[in-house]
Amino acid sequence: MNLAVVTDNLGYLLVGAWPDGPIGGLALTLILSGLSGLVSAVLGLLLGIGLAMSAGAGRRTLVLGLGFFRAIPILMLIFWSYFLLPILFGVSVPEIGTVVTALALVGGAYLAYGVAAGIESIGSGQWAAGLALGLGRWQVLRVIVLPQALRAMAPSFLNQWTALIKDTSLAYVIDVPELSFVAAQVNNRAMVYPAEIFLFVGAVYGALCLALDRLVAVLAWGARRTSWLSRGTRA
Amino acid sequence: MRRLFAFAFATLLSVGAAQADRLDDIKKDGVLRVASFDSNPPFGFVEPATKQIAGLDVDFAQAIADRIGVKLDVRPTNPASRIPLLTSGKVDLVLANFTITEERAKQLDFSIPYFASGQQFLAKKGTLSSPDQLNGLRIGADKGTVNEIVLRRDFPKATVVAYDDTPFAFTALRNGNVQAITQDGPKLVGLLAKVPDRQNYEIPPFSISSDYIGVGIPKGETRLRNLVNETLRDLGKSGKAAVIYDRWFGPNTEQPLPRLFRIGEHD
Amino acid sequence: MSLFGDLLAPRYLLWLLQGFEVTLALSAAVSGAGTVLGLAACCLREVGGPAPRRAVAVFVGLVRNTPLLVQLFVWYFAVAALLPSGMTAWLNAPRILDLGPATLSWPAYETLAGFVGLTVYAGAYIAEEGRAGINGVRSTQREAALALGLTPVQAFRHIVLPQALRIAWLPIVGQYLNTIKNTALTMTIGLAELSYASRQAETETFKTFQAFGIATLLYIGAVALVEAAGQALVRRAAAQASRA
Repeated sequence: MNLAVVTDNLGYLLVGAWPDGPIGGLALTLILSGLSGLVSAVLGLLLGIGLAMSAGAGRRTLVLGLGFFRAIPILMLIFWSYFLLPILFGVSVPEIGTVVTALALVGGAYLAYGVAAGIESIGSGQWAAGLALGLGRWQVLRVIVLPQALRAMAPSFLNQWTALIKDTSLAYVIDVPELSFVAAQVNNRAMVYPAEIFLFVGAVYGALCLALDRLVAVLAWGARRTSWLSRGTRA
Repeated sequence: MRRLFAFAFATLLSVGAAQADRLDDIKKDGVLRVASFDSNPPFGFVEPATKQIAGLDVDFAQAIADRIGVKLDVRPTNPASRIPLLTSGKVDLVLANFTITEERAKQLDFSIPYFASGQQFLAKKGTLSSPDQLNGLRIGADKGTVNEIVLRRDFPKATVVAYDDTPFAFTALRNGNVQAITQDGPKLVGLLAKVPDRQNYEIPPFSISSDYIGVGIPKGETRLRNLVNETLRDLGKSGKAAVIYDRWFGPNTEQPLPRLFRIGEHD
Repeated sequence: MSLFGDLLAPRYLLWLLQGFEVTLALSAAVSGAGTVLGLAACCLREVGGPAPRRAVAVFVGLVRNTPLLVQLFVWYFAVAALLPSGMTAWLNAPRILDLGPATLSWPAYETLAGFVGLTVYAGAYIAEEGRAGINGVRSTQREAALALGLTPVQAFRHIVLPQALRIAWLPIVGQYLNTIKNTALTMTIGLAELSYASRQAETETFKTFQAFGIATLLYIGAVALVEAAGQALVRRAAAQASRA
């Protein structure tokens, strides 16, 4: 093992060419995953509400669309949005936008089902109570159901973020200088230390995702506790 | 659905009909966007000290940007991404050891050649001495290169394994997963110069093709193409092309290679 | 780049089909081996001692929290460099196993690395699905079994595991679907599966739209078929259970 190849390139692996050039490395991985996490949360919320509140042909179309994004390999989706969007629509999306779009669509499609399940898990009694108070269906959703459902779903949003951190590594295939890509660059330059470089990069991802995982566990525990407490006071 | 198609089609038509000149856009933006390799010294690689992409291709790109009077913005590419980058309008030019071929010329325009090379091989010492042996070997190539296509066409019994970039292929060679790797000779020379245990490898003295390297330009951008060609010819005449060559392949470099090709001889 | 130009030449369509075959074969092999690995890890965690339990937890945590791409690079580039050179040479040597009518040839190293990498990845996820299934079986079931005089291992094997598997089956099918999609990543280590073939066809023909389009349809078709088959099996099992 020759760890010098890691320490010599540590700055490049962490922030890329920044501040003399565009930001990259681990910092870009965090930016990409944060952005796609936000967009996928919004998408997932909207689509999930759509899924829970719609019926008939509208719902079938939605299910079909969501199915597409759940079935396509992200790699293929990145190729599509990167190479074909510009040709089809004449718009050139910057690479980072391409990655965020692809990841957010897939992440949103997965989250949508979680959101829909969260909404459906709120008992029909709550719906009935809201409607009896004279609220409309959408008002009940907004005022009564969503706040509860969202609290229960916070862990799954964070879980999705962990998945996205890992998936940003796919930006490698379109030359976006996130952590995996700069690692490949360093590997290509040093040539004979693939073990050191890729194991180190794996450890960085691992530390990041495990930390988030812990956070999710703490939050989930907190959520259980508060729900138990509120049940306790009601009794 | 039909409306979406109509929209897509209209957009396609309008793209085709647009007479916007790329050279004007470059001048307006003040930036020339060029795709170059980031892992292929000495053509294009990330300079450890500056963390910027440098190399022979980048020097030529800089000369073109200077000629237009704009800033140069180099973005990294690998062999397989070069054509999509250009056809999707993400870069203005490709300078990335880009071999001029008829097939590619249907998708994009090329400048006059500014470099020449032949397809060669890199193998552990003593494993490869003539092209006849190629048919039985597992050979690493780069995805999306002419090398890969030529090898598959001319040596159908060879097993071609394609990687994202040459150093990956070299790692596979070093690990024994392939018995040889193929690329343009000068690129292999540049790669071997960086290998710590280079005494174990050799570039057998035969080549299976001869290639000219040119600048990739979007199709139909005549003014841009003329400007690139003029710049290259002037660099040849003024001796600047020789200076660039010597900076990367001259006698005092890690990979000295005699200069046989001169710009303007093969227009 | 021609968008709606001529159809891809048969030779390239053949490449895509061959790539699809590799994708399917690899997915099937990985799903099988990953299920064995995942369930073994899951059982070890339930009935093993503290050391194996911790080992499984670390294994699952590491694999699930690092990108598959990086893991594949490690299996392909790093492991080959770390293994003793004799071992690497042995793994790389072409061998043919003659079974009379059929011959089996030793897979190329990229196939081995891709198979191992994907199997380990799928295995870690399946182990977690299995655990979730076990947690879903009420603890009173286990207690009742113990009260009936079954040993803890017997209670696990005969009472908890069958019910847990019934709960975990659909999520495990979900992991098979993920495996099909994940095989696309092996193109980065030179494995000639469907994504690799589509990129290859695109390089030679420049028919980006068709090359990616056909590959996408094949992926979606495979995923949809496996998903439908998984759900059909679940429905049949439920029907049988209610009849019994």
